[in-house]
Formats: sequence, structure tokens, C-alpha cells
Amino acid sequence: MSNAPAPGGKAGLRPQDRLATLVIAVLVMAVAVAAIIVAGDFPPTMLETDVGPARFPIIFAGALLVLCAILVFNTLRAPAAPPDDLPQAGPKASYGTVAIGIVATAACLYAMEFVGYAIATPIYLFGLMWLMGRRNLIANAAIAAVLTALIYAAFAVALSVPLPVGSLFE
Amino acid sequence: MYELNMLLHGAQALFNQPMALLLALFGVTLGIIIGALPGLTATMGVAILLPFTFGMDPLSGLLMISGVFFGGIYGGSVTAILLKIPGTPAAAATAIDGFELTKKGQAGIALGTATFSSFLGGTASVFVLIFLAPVLARFALEFSASESFALAVFGLSIIASISGVSVIKGLIAGFLGLLLATVGLDPMGGFPRYTGGYTELFNVPFIPVMIGLFAAAEAFKSLEDPQVRAGMAAALDRIIPPWHMFRRQLGNIARSSGLGIVIGMIPGAGADIAAFVAYNEAKRFSKTPENYGKGELGAVAACESGANGCTGGALLTMLTLGIPGDAVTAVMLGALTLQGLQPGPLLFKDHADLVFTLFAGMLVCYVFMLVVGLGSLRFMGRILQMPKSVLTPAILALCIVGTYAINNSMFDIWIMLAAGVVGYFMQKWDFPASPVVLALIMGPMAEANFRRALSLSNGSYDFLYTRPITATLLVIAILTLMLPLLRRLWAERSAGGPSTINPAAGSSRMGTPE
Repeated sequence: MSNAPAPGGKAGLRPQDRLATLVIAVLVMAVAVAAIIVAGDFPPTMLETDVGPARFPIIFAGALLVLCAILVFNTLRAPAAPPDDLPQAGPKASYGTVAIGIVATAACLYAMEFVGYAIATPIYLFGLMWLMGRRNLIANAAIAAVLTALIYAAFAVALSVPLPVGSLFE
Repeated sequence: MYELNMLLHGAQALFNQPMALLLALFGVTLGIIIGALPGLTATMGVAILLPFTFGMDPLSGLLMISGVFFGGIYGGSVTAILLKIPGTPAAAATAIDGFELTKKGQAGIALGTATFSSFLGGTASVFVLIFLAPVLARFALEFSASESFALAVFGLSIIASISGVSVIKGLIAGFLGLLLATVGLDPMGGFPRYTGGYTELFNVPFIPVMIGLFAAAEAFKSLEDPQVRAGMAAALDRIIPPWHMFRRQLGNIARSSGLGIVIGMIPGAGADIAAFVAYNEAKRFSKTPENYGKGELGAVAACESGANGCTGGALLTMLTLGIPGDAVTAVMLGALTLQGLQPGPLLFKDHADLVFTLFAGMLVCYVFMLVVGLGSLRFMGRILQMPKSVLTPAILALCIVGTYAINNSMFDIWIMLAAGVVGYFMQKWDFPASPVVLALIMGPMAEANFRRALSLSNGSYDFLYTRPITATLLVIAILTLMLPLLRRLWAERSAGGPSTINPAAGSSRMGTPE
């Protein structure tokens, strides 16, 4: 995020940063409102001296609403960044790679439930290495296998922590 | 003098039992490995080894378990500093500045400082355990639900000072964490809140959330970088911190160790709380508090000495009163009873020889930790020389397996992944992650103790100001919360105008976590 000083000494916000902050604040407010609504259905306490299960969640959600309102107010009030406030020089971030990485991780977890750690992990590691620009297929396969084996040895063999075997092999 | 004489006798007896020393060394080494692996905590390490102590003599068994405990608390700092994976909850605070130091190419110094600070904090705590056990145990007995609630509030007030530039964003992250902490069974009535029918959510899965927010989020961020081949070679050029650098931390380490020892004595407050409180106090006393969160060596020293100082404090109440200070000592309590020993004042009367031999062994365990720690750092540092295109997938695989290891639950891994995605976006928009973790740890403690205190006072809120320790802690908490705001107002007054920092804009450090 940018906060380059705007004229007058105040920090400035780029339009996309302002929008993102507002979207996050609204999302958090929505979560807080939902939490308050759900807490309304919590049963009253049986103890006279207790405040009940709903009191604390409502206090926390209420505080979130107030804080988000302050954030929205400050964000709307903040001056715009000058047009020459360009992002810092350096390699351009590749958000597509991040998105694919997250989806690949979810796919790995999904696959692990069926085929287990030993099959899902090396494929996942191989795919991520390829995604991150390593194009040597043989080396990648070897590294993926070695890493999978090392993690297995540390957890399953040395520390007796059972790793997922997958519903297909159970 | 009685204690000193008994300690010398104990040391003599200890060195006549080489097998006990070997097992202590094994315990420390295993503890460091367990602590460094994400998902495996010192508690788990002690629990894993507990059945093996059944056939051992009491000294060997208890020393091995103490070694795992001490090594486990320290080991979490290694991956926290090198990879921003806090191996244990206690290392979450260390990861904040430790990883920033690694990014600056000062991983060696950070690891060395962490090792020496852990050693000093832990050793000091064992000495306190030896000499001040009866006095301090009486003080800890004063703590009831209201004091524990006040302590939790004090811990939560730290959120303001670990929020970085934008206090509002830090507070939002903290309250989001507090709201998240209410997911699960209500601490008084056992009513399931926000669980959606999932029994897995009956207890707040904070370790998966912590691994996701810190480690997976950082790994996802690495995917952004197209220049992924470069490792951080030669980052470990020096491990022993230069004396002029370390000397400046001695006061900080002494204060943090003291805090850790006191916090360790309080039932329910463990090394994680000690580390965060020590971090906050180090920042408060620092001449350069603005450097905290950006790679400040003092932060690493404070967190590690605080967390390790907690070990002796937790053992103190467990051994003298039979009240475990944290989860690890609760398991250790089991180890003692397995050996036919009943913790409490009678333990010191009936088994004084064994107790003081154990204390001598604990001091030796810390020496082992220093030696094994320093000896293995260079090897562990080689991890940094791996290209990111190998390291990032390896970190993500470790996150998955480490999370699974906690409860053998696939559900936990999904929670970790969700927390990782949220953590990634939090990093992008300068919402600090550490307040969420702090809130997850302290929120349940605050709520449960507040409601217990309220019940004990028959529904009256008087306990908030009539009990001196509670009132003092609450006042300190309010001051701690207000301090960053007062500092900002003071700075604005001194500068003769409003701050150039926009609270809405957050940190200027693009994507740098607080």
C-alpha cells in the first residue's frame, strides 16, 4: 500500500488501496453483524451470576463494528496520492501464480483424503516447483521424492505421527 | 545455604549417573527437533516420551522429559527466525522480528542471540526455582480467576503496541481474533458457539490458524516473486553475536526472564503469553521502539528469554503446589505421578535428594541446549541456501503435515489453508497477523476467568477494583493500550502538526507483516 505524502504533509492513498481497505472493512463489518445475529440465538445462562455465552461475542463484534467504522472514516478522509506515486521499483508481482498455488494446495488436500500423503505430496511438490519456474523435470521429480521421504521419516518414522493414507487404501 | 548445599550434593549425585545425563542430552536434542517442526509442540514431545519413562528410574525419566520441555521451547525459535514458521506457539512472537532479521541477512546473529537468551532466561528460571520456590509459590497462590482475567487483559493490551504503524488495523485484527476465539464450546455452560455442527470446532484450532497466518501466508507471498531461484546464501556468516551488541541486551534479557518466571508461575499462562508480554515490555523500555517489527535484535532476545524463563516458573508451581503452570507441566505432572512422586511441599521434604539432583540436572539440560543449539545452527542455516523454488513448496508441505500432526485431522489442514489465504491478504493490506494469534491465545483465558470471577463474586463487578493485583494489572493494561496513542499525540505536538502517518494507510513497508 502506498502512503506517499500528499501535499500538506498528509499521507496519500492510491485509488486501489482505498478501495481494498473499504472492501475489507465492509467484509469484516458483515462478519461482525452476522456474529451478533447468530449470538442472539444462544441460550440464556442457567446461572444467575453468569453473563451467558452471547455476551462476549457481542462485545467483540460490537467493537469490530466501531473500529471498522473508524477505518472507513479515516480511509475516506485520507487525501489521494499524487499521480507520480508509482509502486516501488522491482519485479512485478505475479498474482496469477499465487492463485494457482492456493488452488493447487486445496487440490492437494482434497486428493490427500483419497490417495494419501505418499501420492499427493510428491505430485504437489513437483507441480509447485514447476510453477515457480524450475523446468528440470528429472531434478524436480527427484527433489519432490526426497522431500516427501524426509518429511515422512521425520514425522511418521521418528515421531510416530501417522500421516494420511487415503480412503482408497484404508 | 541449605539450598546451595543440597544443589552441590545433587550435582555430585548427578555426575555419578552418566545414563541420566545421556538421556537428558537425548531429550534436549529431540526437544529442539520437535520444537523446530511446525505442529509439534513441547507438550506433544513430552507426551510422546512419557510412556518411555515408565521403565526408567525417576531421575532419568524426569530429566529426559525436562530436556524435551526446554529444547522444545527453544527449538521453535529456529524455524521462526529462518522461515517464519513458529515451531511452537511461544515462537510466534520471535517470528515477528526474527524473520525480518533473516531478510536483512542477519539470521546468524538472530539465531545466536535467541540461543544465548534462551539459555540465560532458562538458567535464571531454574535458579529461581531452586532458591525462591516457597516464597514465590505463596505469591502465585494469591492468583484467582480475577487476577488471571486481569493478566489476560494485560496480555491483550499488547495488541496496540504490536500493531505497527496502524493501531486501528491492529485492533481490528485483534478483535477479529477475539471473535474467532469464541468459536467452540462456551467455557461456562459448554454451549457450542459458531461451530456449524462441526465437532472439530469445539476447541479453537489456534495452532492451524497460527501456522496458516504466519507460515503458509509467507509461502504464498513467495509465489508472487518471479525471482525465485535465489536463496539467501551466506546469511549465517556469524552466529555468536558480537559482545558490544549482546551487552546492550543484558538488561532486556534480565527483565524478560523475570517476567517469564512470574508469568510461568501463574496457572494457565504459558510460554506463548510470556513471549508476547516480554516483547511488549522490551519495546516499551527500548530507546528505539519504532524498530520493533522491522527486525530488532532486542525483540528476539526478549521473546526467547521470556519464553524460556517461563519454564522454571511453570515447574515451580507444579513441583511445590501440584498446580501445573501450563500444558507441558500438566503432562510432566503425569510423569511425576507415574514415578510414584506426589508434587507438593512433601516432595521437598520426603524426596529432597531427588529434587535437588533433578534441579542440578535441569541446569545441565540448559548447558546441553546451548551446546546442541549453537552446534546445529550452521546445519539448520543451510536451509536458507536452498533456492526459494524448492524451499517454498517444502514449507507448504511442512505446513500441511505439521498441521495434520496436531490432531490427525484433515479438517485442521483446511483451517490452516483458509488462515493462510486470509493471512496473505492481511499482509497485502497491512493488517498485522500477530494480534490475531495473541487474541486466540488470550481470548478464551480472559472470557473464562472473567465469568468465573463474576460467579465467585456473586455477580458483582467489584472484583475489578477491590483486589489489588487485579486492579494494578488492569491499570497497567489500560496504560499499555493508551501508550501508542499518547506517543503519537506527543509526537504530533512536538512536530507542531499532525503526523504524516495516515492511520488508514498503514505501514509503508509493502506487504511486510507486523
